[in-house]
Amino acid sequence: MELEQLQKTAAEVADREDVKYVIGWKKGSYGYRVAPGFIEDAAGAAELIFSPLCTANLATYLTLVEKLPVPRGQEADDRKVAVMVKGCDSRAVAQLLVEKGIGREEVVVIGCPCPGVVDPELLAEKYPETEETVEIKWTEDGFLLVRGEEEIEISRDELLAEKCRLCRYPNPVISDVMLGEPVETRELVEDEGVAEIENRDVDERAAYWEEQFAKCVRCYSCRNVCPLCYCQDCILDRLNPTWVNRAVNFSENTAFNIARAFHLAGRCIECGECERVCPANIPLGRLNRKLAREVRDKYGFEPGVDPEAEPFQASFKPDDPEDFIL
Amino acid sequence: MSAMLLKKEKWPEFVEKLAGKKLWAPGADGDAMRFAPVTEGETPALDFNNTRVPPKEALFPQTETMYRFQLGAEEMEEPQLEDETVLLGVRPCDARAMTIVEKLFRWDIDDPYYVKRRELVTVVGLACSDPGLNCFCTSVGGGPASTEGLDLLMVDLGDNYLLEALTEKGETLLESAGDLLEKADSDAVKEKEKLVLEAEKKIKREVKTEGVPEGLPGLWEDPLWQNVSASCLGCGTCTYLCPTCHCFDIQDETEGFESRRCRMWDSCMFGEYTLHTSGHNPRPTRRERTRNRISHKYSYYVDKFDVIACVGCGRCINLCPVNIDIVEILKKVEEAL
Amino acid sequence: MSATFEPNIVAFLCNWCSYAGADLAGTSRERYPANLQIIRVMCSGRVNPLYVMNALQQGADGVLVSGCHPGDCHYMEGNYYARRRLGMLKDLMEFIGVDPRRFHMSWVSASEGHKWKEVVEKTVEDAREAGPFEGFRRRQIDW
Repeated sequence: MELEQLQKTAAEVADREDVKYVIGWKKGSYGYRVAPGFIEDAAGAAELIFSPLCTANLATYLTLVEKLPVPRGQEADDRKVAVMVKGCDSRAVAQLLVEKGIGREEVVVIGCPCPGVVDPELLAEKYPETEETVEIKWTEDGFLLVRGEEEIEISRDELLAEKCRLCRYPNPVISDVMLGEPVETRELVEDEGVAEIENRDVDERAAYWEEQFAKCVRCYSCRNVCPLCYCQDCILDRLNPTWVNRAVNFSENTAFNIARAFHLAGRCIECGECERVCPANIPLGRLNRKLAREVRDKYGFEPGVDPEAEPFQASFKPDDPEDFIL
Repeated sequence: MSAMLLKKEKWPEFVEKLAGKKLWAPGADGDAMRFAPVTEGETPALDFNNTRVPPKEALFPQTETMYRFQLGAEEMEEPQLEDETVLLGVRPCDARAMTIVEKLFRWDIDDPYYVKRRELVTVVGLACSDPGLNCFCTSVGGGPASTEGLDLLMVDLGDNYLLEALTEKGETLLESAGDLLEKADSDAVKEKEKLVLEAEKKIKREVKTEGVPEGLPGLWEDPLWQNVSASCLGCGTCTYLCPTCHCFDIQDETEGFESRRCRMWDSCMFGEYTLHTSGHNPRPTRRERTRNRISHKYSYYVDKFDVIACVGCGRCINLCPVNIDIVEILKKVEEAL
Repeated sequence: MSATFEPNIVAFLCNWCSYAGADLAGTSRERYPANLQIIRVMCSGRVNPLYVMNALQQGADGVLVSGCHPGDCHYMEGNYYARRRLGMLKDLMEFIGVDPRRFHMSWVSASEGHKWKEVVEKTVEDAREAGPFEGFRRRQIDW
């Protein structure tokens, strides 16, 4: 996709009278960082980019923005919000529509077919970050890292984020404006991360997760970054009843992580944001993907694909599997 | 005070000599995630940049039991804080943060838990020779070999560590190491000074703080807060991983007849932080919360204790999921002033 | 495991079928293990999966959820929802290393006093084999 086309489209959309702002990606303050940009007019659109560093799922801002009571005598600003989405992000929008978290008339979806983003930590590990901002582009079969004069070719397998390796929806499933040509959709591949844990015996699994959950600092960034964790009144914040104690220890951390993962069963669209933002590097994606796989294999359901679908946990089929029932 | 040299191969022996005291050092699992108690017989490695979670948790645990009680019983049980603790490999910024936070915990009434822990701890610092990308300690009154808050400073001179005792506690520690150490000559001290200068040069990022403490309250309604907080997720990463953030929440937790009152870290970036019982929230959006985070560090704290409550460790920049960069915010503040 | 270990089982029974089934087991003089702490809920669909998590956290060695047979739900479809959710929970629990023998679900109707006895025997036996649950149970925390 050409950058000019992206910026031109964003400018057009931002100038629309019924659009409040366009949420897109812009260059971050240094190094490989990319930050979400909120573009209110055509002039701002020149900041926007789309590159293999655009990992952030911007759909989360559709429900994150606080809705304050409108003062008497004023009218609510009910203009649309335009959001740029990759394939996975678009599934979040679709799932939000399924759950009626947002209305279709509230959003303008700008679809960006995505050849796959890089894993930022892996990238920084292999090619240490410097202060100056750098560029990364997609090439035929990988990435091109441009640092000043220097150009480095990197193969796709070397840096591709895990979520992208497993991705089957690189093209937005829902969009009002589509940028560029669709990219090739890949076959379903085995989820090695999940399989690796499944192959351990139950005690080894317990030990593995104990080590992981003990690291959790309960900053709740995994919850907040998730486009589908948008409850105004989250059970984790509740004190009456206290579902999960505030104390930070292995037991409560596990309870928190079970609650978080479970609430995403049949809803997680595998954008991998929770795993990316975790300051403790807990492999949260594995938890979510495990459940997503069970939902797909056992119940034949995939969230965020069809905006008209019924929510998974609020529906049933009479012939759901029940082999586990005594 | 005295400066000594410790051969690097004697580092494990040095650590052994500290037996009997509780040792904390950067996470031994190679991850260098956070400070953790060192298990016996283990030698903490010092080749790390900085831990993700600051060592503040050694003095101010994320969850701290204030007292325990049995339902129906008259007595309650208080914690016995008596273990002498040595923190190994604390970066100068984090040590400075301890002195800054201490001002609050010793303000009006002494906080018994923090003050007791602070008295029992010996802080062994490790000067930075290779500061991180987002370090800006030199802009806020620190430096790669700043000694504030440290009892003993270690400088990596290649084959040796240069050990400088800065307080009595540090001297005692050096004495206990005894014959492992050699007297440092003036060359070593010169080399250290050279290293420190080099390290300072490596720090690229800077903030200008002149006029900021006085000016920040005047920017209350400035559009800059809306701009910088638009992308904020409202998570607690920046505050939990900040060495100077010290807010806590107190909760009672009951399990059967056992109960305890404990305090745990809280974050001003959470909506519930200021939520009133009535349902009213004086900081209803991320805009007010971000404004508070910056203003508290760079204005309110200065007002009260005459020191900026930011040590420039760069953790909030490194780990913010959406690249909210405090250096950039302060640039915008400066422009708006 | 030592033969003397008596597991704590928390059982969530729906008011209309399983609770009545357990009642029938009692009036029919069926003998079954007394390790159960029964919590009556109006419908198995009311059992929030977090109840199960919380029970384990607070000292249960096993959890049983029992409701009406599919199609028999007093509220028409509550048990179908329960089946879906708790099935997912079982998978998740297993994945994070909770012994699958600690969590069971069953359909027991009001007339199945004998089946109830069998379900309880199986649940208790399984939990006994799995041993005391340590996992993510709340522990006494050091200062």
